[in-house]
Amino acid sequence: MLELKDLSKRFGDTLAVDGVTLSVGRGELVGVIGRSGSGKSTLLRLINRLAEPTDGSVAWDGAPIKGLSGKGLRRWRHSCAMIFQQFNLSPRLDVLTNVLVGVAAKRPLWTSMIKFFPASDRARAVLELDTLDMASAALQRAGTLSGGQQQRVAIARALMQDPSIILADEPVASLDPVNAEVVMGALQRACRERDIPVLVSLHSLDIARRYCTRIVAMAKGRVVFDGPPSALTQTIVDQIYAGRNNRPSLIEDEATMEVAAA
Amino acid sequence: MTLVAPSGDTAPPAVHSPWPGLIRGTFATAACLAALAAMMIDLKMAPETLLSGSSKLGRFIASMVPPSDGGDSLRILRSLAETFAMAVAGTALAIVAALPLGLLGAKTVVSNGLLHFLFRRCLDIFRGVPALVWALIFISAFGLGPFAGVVALAFADIPNLAKLFAETLENCDRGPVEGARASGVSKILEIRFGLVPQVAPVLASQCLYYLESNFRHAAVLGIVGAGGIGFELDERIRIFAFDQVAFIVLLYMLCVAALDFVSRQLRARLA
Repeated sequence: MLELKDLSKRFGDTLAVDGVTLSVGRGELVGVIGRSGSGKSTLLRLINRLAEPTDGSVAWDGAPIKGLSGKGLRRWRHSCAMIFQQFNLSPRLDVLTNVLVGVAAKRPLWTSMIKFFPASDRARAVLELDTLDMASAALQRAGTLSGGQQQRVAIARALMQDPSIILADEPVASLDPVNAEVVMGALQRACRERDIPVLVSLHSLDIARRYCTRIVAMAKGRVVFDGPPSALTQTIVDQIYAGRNNRPSLIEDEATMEVAAA
Repeated sequence: MTLVAPSGDTAPPAVHSPWPGLIRGTFATAACLAALAAMMIDLKMAPETLLSGSSKLGRFIASMVPPSDGGDSLRILRSLAETFAMAVAGTALAIVAALPLGLLGAKTVVSNGLLHFLFRRCLDIFRGVPALVWALIFISAFGLGPFAGVVALAFADIPNLAKLFAETLENCDRGPVEGARASGVSKILEIRFGLVPQVAPVLASQCLYYLESNFRHAAVLGIVGAGGIGFELDERIRIFAFDQVAFIVLLYMLCVAALDFVSRQLRARLA
């Protein structure tokens, strides 16, 4: 179980994440929603310590993450895979090597330096790619692929890590609708089959409602809603996406429009 | 009929009178021309000097035809090869030293403001010393010969290459590095998988360019005694053997052009 307690992150004068307390169990697919700048990305990055918390704590199965450094921190990052909006693959490396970066942390340094990976690793990487329908592109440079294909490669890399948690930072924000469904489907499958918590920050309420088992809404760094998708009513959505002066938003925002249409 | 300024006080400068600007421009041009004339007078750049020299120059050029190897083409080729070897060795030394320096100098790799500032200023100081000055220093230290030339080339290139490497590293996309970091690899593998693939072609192209320019510089170094083709040239100029000078210069130009061609092809393929 992943437990966040009073987690805060300050950038200069702004509190990006403000006292978030949350616990996420195995098999939960948590959609983190909220306006841009509400602290969704920072919250996810605090969990794998790509950002250092200013205050509060993160614990996995009771073990604190805060004091970790060096090898301990790397092992923690290895066990909670992250997927990014911009994929963060190495565009000039081939797809297979990009996926194998997911196991590089567990292999001897010098073999990874020369991009040598045992046949069993390579076979597993191809299998992971194959479940995402990307095996045929294994020897292509990652930079030559489309956005949706790159995100699938990024998911294969994440799954190579055999993660205990998956963090996905707006994984579908720059994808077309079909690829968005493929990516969300893959995350849902990983969540169910591996029985691990998956945290996904999302802009589309429609996708959040359809895939997530639980929705956490953030505004100004705080959690303002936490519950099943069915409890996310129009009134709450209006509050979350309210304008800067806390006026209820007139249909100004893609997310609100989708809900209005539904 | 009266014209009304479009927005009262804030009428745009575009409608102002052009005269002040024109007058200022004229004065600036005049000042530049005066300074140029003063410099010419200081350097005694008189037409007579040019004329008196040109008759001698004409005789030199006439004696260059037909170029001849002076019956020693093997020696010329060998020293040409030596010059090329000097360029390769100098560039290789410079690359080996500049790579770690470039990594240290990149703000995105080592994030320490003060260290970074001191490092950069240090490189700036060393960049001010040309290869020729290094060569003179090292010749007095290590004696005449290619060794001093190689070290001089390397020293002149290290700060330049380190600066180029550092800036290349700073300008690359941070995404792949973060992607590697998030999968739990160590700093050195972050660089291996996130940075190296991005910067390798750019760095390789910079190195090739330096090899090419070092081949050109190596000839000059030879003239001050660092060996190679420059030494052969100097020797023949001293005894007025201009037909042999012409032969060497032509051969050298051919080599520079060939190296330039090969390096351009390689760089185009890498980038």
